Amino acid sequence: MTDDDLRATLRRADPAASLPPLPSARVDHLLEQTMATPFADASPATDGRAATPSRWRRPALLAAAAAVVLAGAGIGWLTLRTPYTDSPSTTAGPGSAGPASPSVTRLTGAGIAAKCVEPTAQVLASRADLAVAATVRDIAGDTVTLQVTHVYKGTDADLIEVPQAPGASEGLMGSGSFEAGRKYLVAASEGSILTCGYSGEADAPGLAGLYEAAF
Amino acid sequence: MDARRKRFEAIAPAVIDAVRRYLARRTDPATADDVLSETLLICWRRLDEMPAEHLPWAYGVARNCLANADRGRRRQARLTARIATLDPPPEVAPAPAATGTDLTAVLAEMRPEDAELLRLWAWEDLTPPQIAQVLGVSVNAATIRLHRAKLRLRKLIEAAGHEESTEGSRP
Repeated sequence: MTDDDLRATLRRADPAASLPPLPSARVDHLLEQTMATPFADASPATDGRAATPSRWRRPALLAAAAAVVLAGAGIGWLTLRTPYTDSPSTTAGPGSAGPASPSVTRLTGAGIAAKCVEPTAQVLASRADLAVAATVRDIAGDTVTLQVTHVYKGTDADLIEVPQAPGASEGLMGSGSFEAGRKYLVAASEGSILTCGYSGEADAPGLAGLYEAAF
Repeated sequence: MDARRKRFEAIAPAVIDAVRRYLARRTDPATADDVLSETLLICWRRLDEMPAEHLPWAYGVARNCLANADRGRRRQARLTARIATLDPPPEVAPAPAATGTDLTAVLAEMRPEDAELLRLWAWEDLTPPQIAQVLGVSVNAATIRLHRAKLRLRKLIEAAGHEESTEGSRP
């Protein structure tokens, strides 16, 4: 029995052989239904990547980011306090003997559900207390360190640290996760990354324009 | 956003047709419907990750969704079984066994992994590299396993055919 024979034999047992094609109206309906669903909304367990229990991914990311930022902001604020009174460009405390270590702002991403609306420059300007352009310097485990290349708002940090949260990463515009060497625009509010179209790859459509308009 | 919609609209009908068949071959109609919607949703959301050869990728997504649905169903079945023990349903006669699909029985006899390789090969009409993508294994592994599965199937078919022919030739 040749391969072709074997395949032909198998095909005779194909239970879908007699399956009639789906009526085009049904196909259209399925398409509409699918595309009407916000990107962020997919059941988390199915693709093996989602870890967030929230229905709204992007908001979740936002929220996640917000949480990260919150946590980070606290730390960042503490770290940054000294330079404000001392030297504005580094966080190295007065009297530190070694070379000034770069200041680091840590941002968090947490799994809080939120709902995304169309991103606007106004919201970005009013909500973000930190906005930077930064390039991923390295990724160690779940922590991504970005080198700040341009500050739009609110930080003296040279570096920011963000979590590479697998479940939350999809709220970032662009590929959805941080990749070494790539440039990102990151906005945060009180230590939490703003997602929902407010943070992502620098060349994600519309993102740079949004930052220009906001700051 | 519009470009994205256009791209999805161009790809989706073929994906719908293929995934529908894939599911019809492997599960009941209700589960197939659910898993199809779910698979489409993931394709829509992850459109940017979709490779040019999108069917094997979509089969892979459908496969994961179906596995999750089955896990949920097994949980449900365990619960039902527990309820049934407490409150047994009335006995019903078993449905008559399907006839004329010897090969279905032969496939059911095989190891599930082998049967699945053969289904992907013959029913979904995939090449070993494509099968490798669906199953998330190396091309090498898919090629070798498919080859062995074919050998096993041939043996089973020949054995079944032999039995039939000897029985038939008896006066």
